[in-house]
Amino acid sequence: MRIDEYKDMIYACGRCNFCRGQEFNERCPEVFTQYWESSTARGRMAIARGILEGKLKYSEDLAERIFGCFMCARCREECKKAAQIDVIAITKAMREDFVEQGIPIPVEGAQMADSAYESGNIFQESAKAHSAWASGLQFESGSGILFYPGCLASHRFKEKTNILVRVLQAAGYKLDFLGDDQKCCGTPFWISGKMEHATKWVQDYVDMLSERGVKEIITPCPSCFRAFDEEYPSILGVETLPFKVKHTSEVLEEIIERGKLELKNSIDVVVTYHDPCEIGRYKEIYESPRKVIKALPGIKFVEMDRVRADAFCCGGGGGVKLMFSEHSEKVSAERLVHVQATDAEILSTICPACEMNLTHAVYKADAPIRVLDIAELVAVSAGIVDEEILDPYYIPDD
Amino acid sequence: MADVDITSLLSSIVGPERVTDKDFDIIPYSRDLSPARQKFPTHVVMPETKEEIQEILRIANEHDIPVYIRGGGTSHWDAYLPQEPGILLDMARMNQILDIDERNLTVTVQPSCTFSKLDRELRKQGLTYLCSEAGGPAMTVGGSVMKAGSGPHSTAKFGYHGDSDVITLQMVLPNGDIVETGSAAWPGAGKIKRQCLGPDLAGMFIGAEGVLGVCTELTLRIRPVSNFKERLLTMMSSLDDVIEFGHFINRHVGDEYLQGIYLWVDPNEPDAFLVMMDVFGYEEEIIDHRKRRILQWLKEHGYESMDPAPAHDYFDRILTGLTDIFAAGVWHFFGAGTIAIDKIRFLYKVWKEELVEKRGYKKAGFGGQVVPRSWLAFMVTNYKEPEEWDEIIKLANEINEICHEGPLVPYGIGGKDGLMPYLASHDTGYYRLLKMLKKTLDPKNILQRGIMIPKEELQ
Repeated sequence: MRIDEYKDMIYACGRCNFCRGQEFNERCPEVFTQYWESSTARGRMAIARGILEGKLKYSEDLAERIFGCFMCARCREECKKAAQIDVIAITKAMREDFVEQGIPIPVEGAQMADSAYESGNIFQESAKAHSAWASGLQFESGSGILFYPGCLASHRFKEKTNILVRVLQAAGYKLDFLGDDQKCCGTPFWISGKMEHATKWVQDYVDMLSERGVKEIITPCPSCFRAFDEEYPSILGVETLPFKVKHTSEVLEEIIERGKLELKNSIDVVVTYHDPCEIGRYKEIYESPRKVIKALPGIKFVEMDRVRADAFCCGGGGGVKLMFSEHSEKVSAERLVHVQATDAEILSTICPACEMNLTHAVYKADAPIRVLDIAELVAVSAGIVDEEILDPYYIPDD
Repeated sequence: MADVDITSLLSSIVGPERVTDKDFDIIPYSRDLSPARQKFPTHVVMPETKEEIQEILRIANEHDIPVYIRGGGTSHWDAYLPQEPGILLDMARMNQILDIDERNLTVTVQPSCTFSKLDRELRKQGLTYLCSEAGGPAMTVGGSVMKAGSGPHSTAKFGYHGDSDVITLQMVLPNGDIVETGSAAWPGAGKIKRQCLGPDLAGMFIGAEGVLGVCTELTLRIRPVSNFKERLLTMMSSLDDVIEFGHFINRHVGDEYLQGIYLWVDPNEPDAFLVMMDVFGYEEEIIDHRKRRILQWLKEHGYESMDPAPAHDYFDRILTGLTDIFAAGVWHFFGAGTIAIDKIRFLYKVWKEELVEKRGYKKAGFGGQVVPRSWLAFMVTNYKEPEEWDEIIKLANEINEICHEGPLVPYGIGGKDGLMPYLASHDTGYYRLLKMLKKTLDPKNILQRGIMIPKEELQ
């Protein structure tokens, strides 16, 4: 079993319940949706220990507890203090064990991985559809700086992705783009536990990008960012890859700090910011997005109560959006309550998954709030797009 | 257990989403913070109201099913683990702050409100409970009071929660009756006074570890936040001096000078006594005065005040932050309990001679805190599960036996893997009265069966 590898960590759980938080149901989105102790990190360690000791077996019923984890790492953040248990790594290992033992996993999770493998993207669309967002844009093949939007940004946020590239290009970045050769980064494999194709997929991708002369990847997707930055080296057993990867939050910060764009338009709106788990807690990128927002003239920036390492998940993580959509909706609705408490007109974030889940929550609540990528705010300020995109009732073409 | 569909019966009370009998949901409830052996409930149910608890107890009585109560799940002595198969009440959803009464300086909470949540909300209004538990966010008010707990702050002034900070309780008795204690029992009087209307029935439930009733509401004394505090540190070379310092705190100046004094002795330096102090006050002048008196005492006895950094580290990073607390393995407290100030010599001798020297175990430190007239003292170690489990259990049992043959009053009782055997071996009038109360209130021994009193003694 894959969890054998984490035996020491599993037994290190001191059962202190730090992971559950002071409110008991506010820290962890899985506890928020599934209530039971088995949904806490402490509970998961008890389950893993039970499995290691032969007192418990993986079962189809158990899948909701293990695949219903949003992988937001809020519990791991707390456990960094007490026992340094990597709850996320253990959760991934448990998901792999499900697959290896032939225990049925949520159908949507399996389909996500199969779609990525078979069609090259999680939506099982054609390569042409996968790059339609780039219509009208010019790229520089072989520039060495690859723009890599990932599946969600390519399919669900065509206009946002198009705007982002226009911002980057206006700031002087000479971007390469894979076009029809672009495929999923592979995140669905480790999210679902279906790892049978992962190593070859990752190796092929690295070979392809190396041959193309890619030296740096820029991506707006935190999952893709972490895939290239953490998962690829880990799967291949190497320290570094032939290329580096940057998340757009860092690139936008660079643009602002170096004055690569003239921010000529004042944006007179109240803006709050949601920390995506995978660049926040996972990578500790908290300041870059805030620096960008605060640099935009006219904006009144307000923080939510729970931010940075303490931020509540948007509900879109860990594949839960697909596998247990009702849990995902409950969490995003709760996060929207946090947003509404700030009276912000714009909810900014910098993760396609967060943008999608929070946009759905806004639509469902019919809240007068627009969910925008920070790059869109920069684009309005720099005069690259019209301010109509700030309107809460603006509907993008995609 | 009777051959009935308990899941359906419980579901009819709280709805199916708050009942589980699945093995993977059950197993996380099978351990607490101690090395107690795993014990499994058959069902876990999450009540949200006292009326639901009433109904659950009715079913339990009808079908002779034991009911166990769990708050944050961090008992140190097998106090809430199901001693035999039965229903476990996971009280997590009863965690609300019901009322903050600024004028009467009281707060009313549900039992699973954590100390950190309580303090966070009180401080928004310039108030505090102050006498909070150590151990981080999971410590619940109800769990702590029901085990007669205390905390790292204010103990020299206020003692344990049960000494003066609990005003009234609301309890569901094993037969389903709902009772309130103190002034709350008198219609229209409010939750303002503990000791009135006859016997102090709150005191009967505090420390009973749930064997006499399920706590559903607590009203506690609160106080304005003290804006000024000092943390002091000294290293003493003799336990006699520590004891005299304890008396200094406890006698004429203690209640007014200090709100926390902690002792820590490292097993590798058993003759170096680290003493940490917290001084609180509402006025800077008062703090200065208190600090001056302490420093004067230290000087008169040949000690100096040291850089308080280690004390900050102990209180903030370890005691309340639990930082790196499990780096060397999980926790076990043993040789723990209440002991008169002078008699800490006995406990220290057991620790040093029996544990460190005779058995050569140098991983357990010796610590304590001064509460009025006594110490809350303990030995604590980190050990690796599962490989060191047998060794630590054997060691702890041997030490506990020596300690509780002497004047150390067990801090908590718990079940068969806790300290229940030591209480049961003392056939005192107190113990007989406790059994009589239990038999009267819970004739079928439904609540916490096998906790505090062996099952066979109640048949």
